[in-house]
Parts: sequence; C-alpha cells; structure tokens
Amino acid sequence: MDPELLSDTFVGLADTMVADFDVIDFLHMLTDRSVALLAASAAGVVLADPRGELRVAAASSEAAGLIELFQIQNDQGPCLDCFRTGQPVTAADLTSADQRWPRFAAATVQAGFRTVEALPMRLRDQVVGALNLFRATPGPFAVADLRIGQALADVATIGLLQERNLRRSEILAEQLQGALNSRVVIEQAKGKLAERLTIDMEDAFRMLREYARNSNQHLTDVARNFVDSATADFPPPPRR
Amino acid sequence: MANGRPAALWGLVAAHAAAAGRRAAVADVCAVVVSSARAGGGWVAAASGRAPDFVICVTDLVSEQLAEVQLMLGEGPCHDVLATAAPVLAADLGDEPSNGRWPAFTPEARQLGAAAVYAFPLVIGAIRAGVMGLYRSSPGPLSGPQFADCLLLADTATILLLDGLGDRAGPAAGGDGRRARPAGQPPELAAHRAEIDQATGMLTVQLGVGVTEAFARLRAYAYTHDRRLADVAADIVARRLHLHPDTTQDGGR
Repeated sequence: MDPELLSDTFVGLADTMVADFDVIDFLHMLTDRSVALLAASAAGVVLADPRGELRVAAASSEAAGLIELFQIQNDQGPCLDCFRTGQPVTAADLTSADQRWPRFAAATVQAGFRTVEALPMRLRDQVVGALNLFRATPGPFAVADLRIGQALADVATIGLLQERNLRRSEILAEQLQGALNSRVVIEQAKGKLAERLTIDMEDAFRMLREYARNSNQHLTDVARNFVDSATADFPPPPRR
Repeated sequence: MANGRPAALWGLVAAHAAAAGRRAAVADVCAVVVSSARAGGGWVAAASGRAPDFVICVTDLVSEQLAEVQLMLGEGPCHDVLATAAPVLAADLGDEPSNGRWPAFTPEARQLGAAAVYAFPLVIGAIRAGVMGLYRSSPGPLSGPQFADCLLLADTATILLLDGLGDRAGPAAGGDGRRARPAGQPPELAAHRAEIDQATGMLTVQLGVGVTEAFARLRAYAYTHDRRLADVAADIVARRLHLHPDTTQDGGR
C-alpha cells in the first residue's frame, strides 16, 4: 500500500467532512479510494433500508454487472451475511459452483470477480450497511488492507451523520432516508442526461459529478435541478 | 432481506378500503399507519413544488388542526420533510431542538394536544407528491418496526396520491382514457431498482414531460402490457423500448 495515498485519503476525507458536503458524492469518493488503496477491482457502499432492503448508495463503477451483484444480495451473499451478523464476511475464492451463495457466486464470476469482502458499517450496536470490496483475482485481501478498509467503512458511517447533533437517536434514521432519496434523484438525472446526449449511465454520472465539482455545488442539488428543469439542456439553467 | 411485510401492509390497506366499500385510497393508508404506529391520528397533504399545499385526508380533529396550522404558519415538520426529502421524527415537542426548529408551530401543536410529531415525505427522488404526518399525545420515539411500517406505508400513499392527482387533473393533463392505471395492486416500490429511476429520467426526454408524468407513463405502460415495472424499465434503459408522446406509437425503436 502507498502510504502517501493513504494519508492523502484520510486528509481528503477529513477536509470534506468539516464543511457542508454531499453524502452520495462523499460515499463515491470513498469507494474510489477503496479501490485505489486496497488492491480492489471495485467497491461499493450498501445501506440497509429499514423497509427491509439493501440498497446501493455508491459504487466505484456504475457498470450494470456490479450493481446487479448488490441487488442479488437482498437474497444471499456476503453483504447480507455481514449485515445480519455485524461481522466482516470473506469470500476468498468464489467459483460459480460455490454452495454458500450459488446465485451470488455465479453472478460474481460472470461479472469478472473472484474475491469479495464485506465490511460492516456500524454505529454503536446498529449495523447501517456495509462496504463491499471486489477483486478480479482469487485469494484473501491482506490483513493490513482490511484494517484500512474497516476504517474507511467507519468513516462512511460517520459521513452519513451530517448533523453534529448526535443526541437525537432519530438523526441517523432521518439522514439515511435522505441519502437513499438522493440516490434516486441522481439515478433520475442520469437517465435524463443519458437520453439527452445518447450516452451510457456511467458517462452520464461522470458528467453530473464533474459539473457539480467544477461549479462547487452538491451533486444531489445539480441532479435535482436538472430533473426539475423544464428543458433537457445540461447544465440546467439556474433556478429562479 | 426480502420479507412479506409490504404485502401484509397492503392487505390491511385493501381490507380497510373494502370495509368502506371503495377502492384503496390515501385515506385507507392513513388509517392503517395510525393504527400500526399507535399514533393519536394522522394526515396526508399534497405538495405543490417544495411545500405542502392542501390537506387530502385526516383521521381526527387534532390531525386536521395540526395539518392546517402548518399550512397557515408555513412552518413545521411537514415543510422540513419536503425540503430535505427525509423524514422528521420529533419524538418530544417539549425538547429544545423542536422549539428552536419550529418556534411558531411547536407551541401551537402542544396546545392542540400533540407531544410528538412524525412526518414522512411522499417522494420518489425528484417527484414530490406530498407529506404524511402522525402525532402522539405522549412523547416517545417510534420503534424500529413501527418506523419501517411508516416508510412502507408512505411509499403506498405516494403511489395512491400520484394516481389521485392524475384523476383530478383529468383529460387536460393528458388523462385521455387510454392511460389505464393499476388498481387494487400493491405498489411495486418495495423492491427498489435503479433502472426504474433511470428509465423515468429517460422518459422525461423521450416524452417531453415532467418527472411525475414520466413515472406515470412508465407505470401505465407496464400495467397496460401486463409486465413488471422493473422489466419495462430495464428495456427502456437498454434502449430496446422507446415510448412516444402519442401512446399508440409506443414500442421498439
């Protein structure tokens, strides 16, 4: 692991968190950094919706195959086991014939991954989600990497709590729902932009994110203004 | 994590509607959520833009007054949930945060007999249908299962409210009679799929309509073709299916 990249990452995350920030954009940064730091091929943050569903909040790639892996995990997989037990779950060498999670294993291999690690996102005794790491090559992640990974998962949890007022236990539930709805707004905006420019969802997401960053706006606000806009022009005209 | 709770709750809503001799409506959701959350009462208000606009239903007099006083003051949990698209759980209106947050609403609400107010946005991403509120006469948080039921019933209320708005808007808003809609079916939102949101966004451009109308057209297409919403959405995202402003031309491109 590159120590400079590691310190850069935590300094960058801390810098973000002292100011007003967009949760989904923050979680995306975290998944990008997880890939860069932890010898992972892909990473994703999955949140537990109290409705009874695991939902993707951010992924290092918007590739359909990766997203599908998270959706399958509503039925089976390391992420679901991790959420249920609150413990890290390792699948060090999945083959399509894996007996523990047959559907998940087949889809994972199909998507080009062999190793999966699910790290719990916990606040006190509550498991709010998991950071998932995927790797194309078999074999477990290094212990040192997993410790960093768990630290990143903990930072993700804190990032969800945008308000400093932790006295109210309801805050986490409120913020979690807000983050999940932000994700929906962003998906709607991706769809609108992808259709407008005839590009794929991954490129649409990249454009939204870059525009938000360059114009110093929250990703969710950019997405919402674009979806609300009466025209399909991008960037959307400023709100009146 | 899949469970049968959404279907069970829909069963309660449908049974309540049947007992009243009508098709399931927002008022039935309101009654079920009050009972499930052990609340004193509840209300649903429709949104106009980013603020609650008019009261759709109430379960008792206190709820009616709580809903109306927020519209009058332009302040309260119902305004906040639409601004942030996240629930507001004010478990104790007597505490400092509540007073600081809603200086006008809080004393009014307490005088009406509310000690706790819980408000839920009726939203799907950028689609803002309205807000659902509950009150209790004694303070205290919702339990985990109660909160989960509230979220699921808020999803149901969102769909029914969107359908209802379409009905009221009538032919002028494009309700040309061919736009059949699901009736007596549980909303399909319990199993969330990103493709549904992406397809909704794509349809705003294909059809040249707002996001609320685009979502209505997506659901109407799935219903009239007897297909799952997620499957239709996946076809649109994969650009295997293209919808046209004139529904008779819908189909592959």
